[in-house]
Amino acid sequence: MASFLRHYGSLIGMAAIVLFFWIALPDTFMTLRNWLNISQQLSMLVVVAVTMTVVMVMGDFDLSVGAMASLSGVVAATLFAQGMPVPVALAAALAVGLLGGIANGVLVSLVGILPFVATLATLTMFSGAAFLVSDGKTIFGRDIPQGFSDFARSGLPLGTWGDHPVLLPSLTLLAVAVTFLVWLVLEHTIYGRRLYAIGGNVAAARLAGVKVSHLRLSAFAFTGVGAALAGIMYASRVASANPVQGDGLMLTAIAAVFLGMTVTRDGQPRVLATVAGVVTLGVMDNGLTQLQVDSYVRQVLVGAIILVAVSISALGRRAVRL
Amino acid sequence: MTGFTRRSFGRIAGLTVATALAGFGTAAFAEGEKVAVITPYLSQPGTQFYVEAFQARAQEKGWEVNVIDTAGDVAAVISRMEDLSAQGVDAIVLNVDPAQVGAGLDAAVAANIPVFGMDAGADPRIKANITSNGYAMAAETSVYVANRIGGSGNVVMFVFDAFPPVQVRGAVADAVFKNHPDITVLDRVTPDVSDGGIADSRAKMEAILAANPEPGSIKAVWAAWDQPALGALQAIEAAGRQGEGIVITGIDANPQARDAIAAGGNFEASVAQDFAGIGATTADTVARVLGGETLKSNVIYVPTRLITSANAKD
Repeated sequence: MASFLRHYGSLIGMAAIVLFFWIALPDTFMTLRNWLNISQQLSMLVVVAVTMTVVMVMGDFDLSVGAMASLSGVVAATLFAQGMPVPVALAAALAVGLLGGIANGVLVSLVGILPFVATLATLTMFSGAAFLVSDGKTIFGRDIPQGFSDFARSGLPLGTWGDHPVLLPSLTLLAVAVTFLVWLVLEHTIYGRRLYAIGGNVAAARLAGVKVSHLRLSAFAFTGVGAALAGIMYASRVASANPVQGDGLMLTAIAAVFLGMTVTRDGQPRVLATVAGVVTLGVMDNGLTQLQVDSYVRQVLVGAIILVAVSISALGRRAVRL
Repeated sequence: MTGFTRRSFGRIAGLTVATALAGFGTAAFAEGEKVAVITPYLSQPGTQFYVEAFQARAQEKGWEVNVIDTAGDVAAVISRMEDLSAQGVDAIVLNVDPAQVGAGLDAAVAANIPVFGMDAGADPRIKANITSNGYAMAAETSVYVANRIGGSGNVVMFVFDAFPPVQVRGAVADAVFKNHPDITVLDRVTPDVSDGGIADSRAKMEAILAANPEPGSIKAVWAAWDQPALGALQAIEAAGRQGEGIVITGIDANPQARDAIAAGGNFEASVAQDFAGIGATTADTVARVLGGETLKSNVIYVPTRLITSANAKD
């Protein structure tokens, strides 16, 4: 019983939050429609957070993801506005993400700059580039192809509810696919295990023959591409792109990974735990909005919940050491 | 010992979360119509005026108003609209371009929740957009210019046709000036607005002043918003030509423009939107629709006010 609580204390806390909203909002919270909504709202954050998990496994992190999401969105939209076919524009936006991620990787692993400093600098550069590409304007309306904005509203039909069709949103499916892919890489490949080895003890990993700098470099490609994909998803959802729209994703993604780390047995970042962290944050947003809690109070509460969860996890670990 | 410690932490965690949330949960069971106001721009001064006036009027009506600020995040506006559609509020008021939140509008329509725009833009899924009439604002200032210069002389226009709300202002001024046979539009300038619009407008105006050195060769500057008017004012003062009686007008009556108008120099007039009036009228419009009325027009204009040195300090 004690060990059950030890391992699942945080998960129980998360379940308590869901249970609370279920009781407070008996008719509207625990419905299929609401959860499909939440899944769609969180899809962009999931993509950024699970790819962020890849670098956080090694103890690194990437501050440039939000700026990259903004940049990829305006790159795609600018190419749309110039009449490029949708697949070409999307490929270009993802390529920008890949290049940006590799640049971060080179700075961190080959040049040897601290991830905080390196990605803070590239954050500024990506953000500046987003303003340059878009001229500081919001690109919307006829410049955005109908098919592209329709993607965010499309989904797999699940049936009908009342007289409205219920869809499993395409954005959700995309986020699930990315999560599955990253989970496969981290949990079921030698590559993934080596990343965890680096996170556990760099020196030991190096002595064991792990090519640390190559792996660190390549891991940043995940965050770059993930951020670019999230930026494209965001642009599709709002049928427009502006040079700051993805910026908010970065802090929330890092918070989600930390929240997820409180769930795992050894306090390490795990993909599914990150998803649990994202869902907790999303449920708070959804539930508190439905309860008509003031949006500023909501922000304070969400921050407080993160602190409570992380504090419990830290105190718990200390108690073990005592 | 460790087991006990961990277990207590777990319990404390559960309790803390539950009590924190329970305190706020009570709001959900209050009386009255539930109306949500969603904006990504609450920190902007104009938006605050709308929202405060809306809240004041809503309080008189006994509504329960939930103001949601997504702090610049437009996708979050869609998310909150979806949340509210699931919850079933009585009305949603938006302060964002409807073209960017189509998915949220679909969710609200599907849930039969009426959506209103507070200076938002038109969309078939919005019951009504309550805003200022850009045509009327431009008519106020362009007619002021025409009257002040006695219907004759050279006028410089500052326009921005790429942005639809500003384009309509230029179109109205074109018509007014064209209707006076003795008024000549000397130049129709589109300033570069990436620096805010004042600096480039000043540079453009300096070039025009240099090209027209004769006193009286420029009678007026009509600007489609305040920044180019302020730039033109700086150019005229820097060139030492403020004594020629060149009349300058802007639109929006921002604080800097009001100061310049109050100072009694060349910048003589601008037009102020009634932000508080837009907020209050939005609340009244929501009440009409909730009361079962069908609106004939989905755009409702709130009157604006010409600002001159007589009322710039109000």
